[in-house]
Amino acid sequence: MPPRPTIHPLRTLRTLALPLQTRTHTTSTTPSTSVSASELSHFSALANSWWDPQGPSRALHLMNPLRHDFIAGCLAEFDPIRSVPSTPSPRSSPENNPLRYLDIGCGGGIFAESLARTIPSTRSAERTRTRAASITAIDPSKTLVKIARDHARLDPGVEAHLRSGRFEYRNCSLEELIAGQSATITTTEAGASSTKDGRYDMVTLFEVIEHIDNIPGGISPQTFLTNCLRMVKPGGWLIGSTIARTFPSWLVNQVIAEAPWPIGVVPKGTHEWSKFVNPGELEGWVQEGLMRGEDGVVSRGGTRAVEKASWRCEGVVYFPGVGWRLVKGSETWGNYFWAVKKGE
Amino acid sequence: MRPLSRTALRPYVCPSCQLGRLPARRRFASHTPSSGSPPEIYDVVCVGGGPAGLGLLAALRASPATSTLKVALVETQDLAKARSWSSDAQHFSNRVSSLTPSSVSFLKKIGAWDHLDTSRAQPYQEMQVWDGETGSRISFDWSMETSPFEDLRTVATMTENTNLVRALLSRIAASGDDNLSLFSNTTVSSIVNGTDTPDGPDLSAWPVLSLSPTGSASSQPPTRIAARLLVGADGINSPVRRFADISTDGWDYNRHGIVATLSLADLDPVPFPLGTKTAYQRFLPSLGGPIALLPLPNNHATLVWSTTVENAAYLKSLSPKAFLAMVNAAFRLSMTDLEYMLRMERPATAVSDVEDAHENELTWRLEHTPQPSHLPPIVSGVQEGTVAAFPLRFRHATSYVSPRVALVGDAAHVIHPLAGQGLNLGMGDVASLAETITYAVNHGMDVGDLLTLERYAGDRYATNAKIGAACDVLHKLYNVPGNGPVAWARSLGLEVIDRVPFVKGLLMKNAQG
Repeated sequence: MPPRPTIHPLRTLRTLALPLQTRTHTTSTTPSTSVSASELSHFSALANSWWDPQGPSRALHLMNPLRHDFIAGCLAEFDPIRSVPSTPSPRSSPENNPLRYLDIGCGGGIFAESLARTIPSTRSAERTRTRAASITAIDPSKTLVKIARDHARLDPGVEAHLRSGRFEYRNCSLEELIAGQSATITTTEAGASSTKDGRYDMVTLFEVIEHIDNIPGGISPQTFLTNCLRMVKPGGWLIGSTIARTFPSWLVNQVIAEAPWPIGVVPKGTHEWSKFVNPGELEGWVQEGLMRGEDGVVSRGGTRAVEKASWRCEGVVYFPGVGWRLVKGSETWGNYFWAVKKGE
Repeated sequence: MRPLSRTALRPYVCPSCQLGRLPARRRFASHTPSSGSPPEIYDVVCVGGGPAGLGLLAALRASPATSTLKVALVETQDLAKARSWSSDAQHFSNRVSSLTPSSVSFLKKIGAWDHLDTSRAQPYQEMQVWDGETGSRISFDWSMETSPFEDLRTVATMTENTNLVRALLSRIAASGDDNLSLFSNTTVSSIVNGTDTPDGPDLSAWPVLSLSPTGSASSQPPTRIAARLLVGADGINSPVRRFADISTDGWDYNRHGIVATLSLADLDPVPFPLGTKTAYQRFLPSLGGPIALLPLPNNHATLVWSTTVENAAYLKSLSPKAFLAMVNAAFRLSMTDLEYMLRMERPATAVSDVEDAHENELTWRLEHTPQPSHLPPIVSGVQEGTVAAFPLRFRHATSYVSPRVALVGDAAHVIHPLAGQGLNLGMGDVASLAETITYAVNHGMDVGDLLTLERYAGDRYATNAKIGAACDVLHKLYNVPGNGPVAWARSLGLEVIDRVPFVKGLLMKNAQG
C-alpha cells in the first residue's frame, strides 16, 4: 500500500501521545507478530475520525449493537459460568455478572467501550445482557489506544471502570500479551477473584482476522487464531466477525463500499479482499487451533477438544437506509459473525 | 432523521471543522453560572414536567432495563400541587386532550393508566365532521369496521391534562425514589457545557444545568447537575432547544383557539348503539377555522373553536348566555348569519336580563335555516372561568437531536389543534425516545450519543412532519370562504373520502395515531 499523506490533526495527536507505556516484556524481540505494518498505518491514519458518528467508521458504529445481540445469543446457548441451581442467588448479586472479557484488536474502542458500559457500577447488580464483570482490550496501535483511552474519559461511568481496573486498555499485540502473562501474572483488582491463569471467559475478535498477514513460515491467521483460543477458558467463547472471500463480498466490500462518496461507506484501502476468510476456512483453522491445545503442538486429546467444542455462524447484511441486520444463511455473502465454544 | 444538509455537506467540510462545529457555542444562560464543586451526574435530565416530560420519566421508570438509570426532572410549577389536584364530578378543567388509542396503550404499557381517574375520562366512538359552507360531511364511524360482536372501536379518549399529569406523577411515585430526583418549583438558570477534570472524567461536551428555586432571590449557590442526555420537554420556547442551538421553522396562524367547559341540555337523542359518544366538528371557512365539541362525562363537553383573533376577542367578551348562543349558532347557522351575529352590538353593562340579544337572534334565525341531521346537542351552560383563548401556531424544530440533547413534545413541534393531535405526537415522541434509550442500554450504547439519538429522530421526524403538514393543509383548505372552486373541490374531496372505504380507513387510522 502506498504511504498515505499525513493529515493535520493526526500529527497533533501524535505529538500529544503519551510516552511509551513501560511493559514487562519490551526486551523480548519476538520475530513473529500478527501485526501488519501497512494495516497499522492505515488504521492509525483514520484515528482522528474514529469516533465521529458521521465519519469513516460509521458502518462499524452501526454494526456494534449487533455484536451485543450475537453475544447474547451465544450466552443463551451456553453460559460459561452457570450459577449453581441449588443455591438460588438473589436478584442482585455479583454472581449475576461474572464474565471476564478480552477484546483483541480493539482499535479506537468502539466495542470495548460499549461492553464496559454494560459492566455494573456496583458489585451487586441485576443480571445484564453481556453478564460482564471486566474487560481487557488490546491493540498494537499506540495512536488508537490513546484515542480509545481519551474517548473513554468522556463517559464518567466508563472512566470510573478504567480507574477501578474493571476496564483496561493495553497497547500491545496478542503475542506480547501472552509473553507478558507468562512472565508475570498480574491480577487486577477486578480480576482477583477469577482464575490466575490469565485466561478469559469471553474473547472477542471483531473485524480483526481479515487484517492478519499470512507470512510463510511466520505468523498466519491460523496461528493467530490458535493463540486467541489459548486465551479462552474451558467452557468459554471465542467470538468474532469477519468477511467472506466470495464474489458478492468482493462486489460489496471492494467495489461498492470503498467507492467514492456518496456510494462508499468505508475509506479506500480498509479491506483487501484476498485476506478475507470464508466460514469454512475459519472453522477449519479453529479446529486445528483446538487440536493444538495449550502448548501449541498437536496433542493426543485434540480430537476430543474439537468434538466438545461447538460452532456458531450467522451472516449480517447492511441495508442502506436501514442498517445492519442478522440474516440467516447469508454467511457467504460477506460480513458474518462466528463463535466457537471451547469444550469444558 | 439526521438533517439532510449535514449529510449532504459531509464531504465538503473538513473533519476538524466538523468536529469543532457541533459543541461550539452551546450556551443558554440567564445569569452567569457559578462553577465550584463538580456537578452531580445524571443519565437523563428532563426539563419540563408536562405530560411529555412526565410521560418519558414514567416510561423510563417502568422498563426494567432503564429503571436503574439515574434520572431527574426539572419543573417550574409545584408538582406536589399537581399531584394532589382534585375536582368534583360536575367540574372539568378547560385544558383537555383527546388521547388516541396508541397514546392510551402507551400509558397502559407504562402502568400510568391505572393511576388515571377514568370516571373523568370520556372515550368516543364516532366523529361528525362537516363543511359549514357546502354542507358536505364525513362521518368517522368505527361501527362500520367492527363486527357486531366486538366492542366499538374508540376514536379517542377525552382526558383533562391535570388528570393525566396527576396519573403520571403517581405512577412515578409508585416506582420508588431510587435514582430519581424531582426538582419541583425550580427554574433552569443556565445550561453550559461542563469542564474537563484532569484526574477525572472529561465533561466538556456534557450539558451542565444550574438550578435555582423559582421566584426566590438566590442567596445560596445553585444546584449544578450534569446530563448524559438532556431532554427538552420545555414547550414552545424551549430553553434546552436554545442551548442546543436548534432553530425552528414555522408561522403564526393569526388565529386563536377558544376553549371552554360546557354542559349539555339533556336533548341528546338516544345514541345507537347505546353508550356511543360522538365528537362534532364543523369547519367555518368564513370565520377562520373549525368549531369542535368533544364529549366529557356526565353530560359535559369541551369546546375548541379556532377563529380569527378579532372573533376570539369578541366571543370572550360576551356574557355566558350570549356565548352559549354563539356556540349553538356556530353548529347550525349559515356563514352569513354567523358573520352578522359576530358583529352585533354588545350590551355595555352585563345585563342579567332573561332576554339576550344573541339568543333571540339565534331563535329567530333557526326558524329560517334548514337543519341537517347529526347535530350536536344544544349547549346550555358554561362553567365559570373556563372560557380562554390561546394563539395557534405552527413550529417544527429543524432537528430533534444534537449531541446529548433530545427534544420532545411542543419543544420539537407545535401544530394546529384541528385534529387534536398535539399531545398525541408528544406521547409518540416519548414512547419512541424511551424505546431508543432501552435499546441503547441493552446494547452498551451511550444514551446521549448521536448514534443513539438518531434512532429516535429517524423514527419521529417524518411522522410528525406528515401529521403537522396534514393539519396545516386542512386549515388552509378550510379557510377559503364562499362557494368558489376551492369549496367545490373541498366538498368533492370530503365526499370522495366518505365514499371510498380504503381512503377513509387510511385517514381514520392516521387520526388514530
